Amino acid sequence: MSDNFEKTAEQAAAFQKIWMESMSKIMQTAFAFGNNSPPPDVLKQIRSGIFQALAQSWEEFMRSPEFLESMKQWMDTAINFRKMTNDFMAKVRNEIQAPSRDDIDTVMLTVRHMEKRLLDRVEELAVRIEKLDSRLNGHAAQPAPKVASSQAKAREPRKSARRKTKSEAA
Amino acid sequence: MSESAPYSNPWLQWQRAALDESFAALGRMTNFPTLWERAKRVRKGVSASEVVYEEDRLKLLHYRSDSKPRFKTPLVFTYALVNRPYILDLKKGRSVVANFVNHGFDTYLVDWGVPTPADRHLTLDDYINGYMANVMDYLFERTGAKSLNVLGYCMGGTMSAMFTALHPERVKNLILLAAPIDFSSNDSLLNLWTRPENFDVDKFVDTFGNCPPEFLQSTFLLLRPVGNFLEKPINFYENMHEEKFLEDFLTTESWLNDNIPVPGEVYRQFVKYLYQQNLLTQNRMPVGKHIVNLQNITCPVLNLMAGKDDLVPCSQGMPFTNLVGSKDRKTILLDGSGHIGLAIGGRAQKEVWPQACEWLAQRSD
Repeated sequence: MSDNFEKTAEQAAAFQKIWMESMSKIMQTAFAFGNNSPPPDVLKQIRSGIFQALAQSWEEFMRSPEFLESMKQWMDTAINFRKMTNDFMAKVRNEIQAPSRDDIDTVMLTVRHMEKRLLDRVEELAVRIEKLDSRLNGHAAQPAPKVASSQAKAREPRKSARRKTKSEAA
Repeated sequence: MSESAPYSNPWLQWQRAALDESFAALGRMTNFPTLWERAKRVRKGVSASEVVYEEDRLKLLHYRSDSKPRFKTPLVFTYALVNRPYILDLKKGRSVVANFVNHGFDTYLVDWGVPTPADRHLTLDDYINGYMANVMDYLFERTGAKSLNVLGYCMGGTMSAMFTALHPERVKNLILLAAPIDFSSNDSLLNLWTRPENFDVDKFVDTFGNCPPEFLQSTFLLLRPVGNFLEKPINFYENMHEEKFLEDFLTTESWLNDNIPVPGEVYRQFVKYLYQQNLLTQNRMPVGKHIVNLQNITCPVLNLMAGKDDLVPCSQGMPFTNLVGSKDRKTILLDGSGHIGLAIGGRAQKEVWPQACEWLAQRSD
């Protein structure tokens, strides 16, 4: 409890410091202009100076450990809240015997694993066919160096089974 | 107003200013009712194009030209996964795509589409060795070219660099536009906020699935809180009676707020391997079962960066030219410009894109 209080107090102090610094910079800017320029120009210059001072202070604040700590706390809260909602929705869907997000994710992952295994196998077969092809064409006497062939394999594009061109679709 | 103010008495000057401001405010008020309608009418991409290839949610756009392309080697634009790609063809006179089409390049653009919750398991491997490789294969078939010119913007640039390193024989020339490569510095607030001690990306992706667009948008806005929450609205209010300003503002803002979710696994890999571990510069970045080695990039490289980029500061993009194996490499830095200004800004249109077109023309068949 006292830890939390100290943390909050530190964050509040950092926030207060930001505003104190901003205000002092703003005041410096406001008094830095003479009365030679026409009024709207002076106002615009003052305003731009104020914004610059504010931007600087905020940049410093957003880099401070206090801000990073409060951002982390806020993120944790948001994630926990979302997790709670997810769990609740999953429970409701399970109760009414409907598929939940977890169920769909599991199916999607299974499909992806199957796709990956299939594509890996197709790639292996492609390499073997290439080797056979080169043997048939009489290049078997000059096998490629080991490093080069492994690089070639690494560059093999992973084809999607769902590939479809516009003309094919038509 | 101020030019016509002949009054030496400051009190009279103030009165004159107040009167002028009242009339301007009246003009602004008349624009209010039509704003929403006008924002809805903003066009998403202005150059004439057709979809020539589709795969899942991906669409490949081909830009039509009145004349036959001067160069045989096609040019492909790849944009990031965080926003929509029509920023590269935002409006007449501000279109990156139109610059290249008018220069005689056969130009294509990859639109990744909008991921749904079912796409949360897509990885960088699926995008780079799957979708990108398939798009390139299709273009080889379609055009008969043996290699392509690739231009990647932002995260699309990082992905293009990875693609080129994994498939060097397929890329003839590589152009990176504000692409983050080296994540070691803390110049950008994003780097600091995504450090492992500040952000648990695993917990985030496991809970949310895809990275929500609202989360990304609010993070980007927070990078410049004073600019985005104070200066921008005030600037808008002061200039909304000017037709040209209003049109530019609505076009840019419509794009800025047209965010899309990022597939969860891609987000996890990008944050973990790049923002947190900086593996790309160490040539240890895993993409599926392959490791990206930037030294494999030997084609000519053009690296374009903006001096005032909050999202991708120069320190993130500059090291790229020294990490590749290419001998032909060039960097153009546009001082005073931001992340979006580098693409659509007036200065970029005058200073950067003519140079980039010329650079590519000299290296294309």
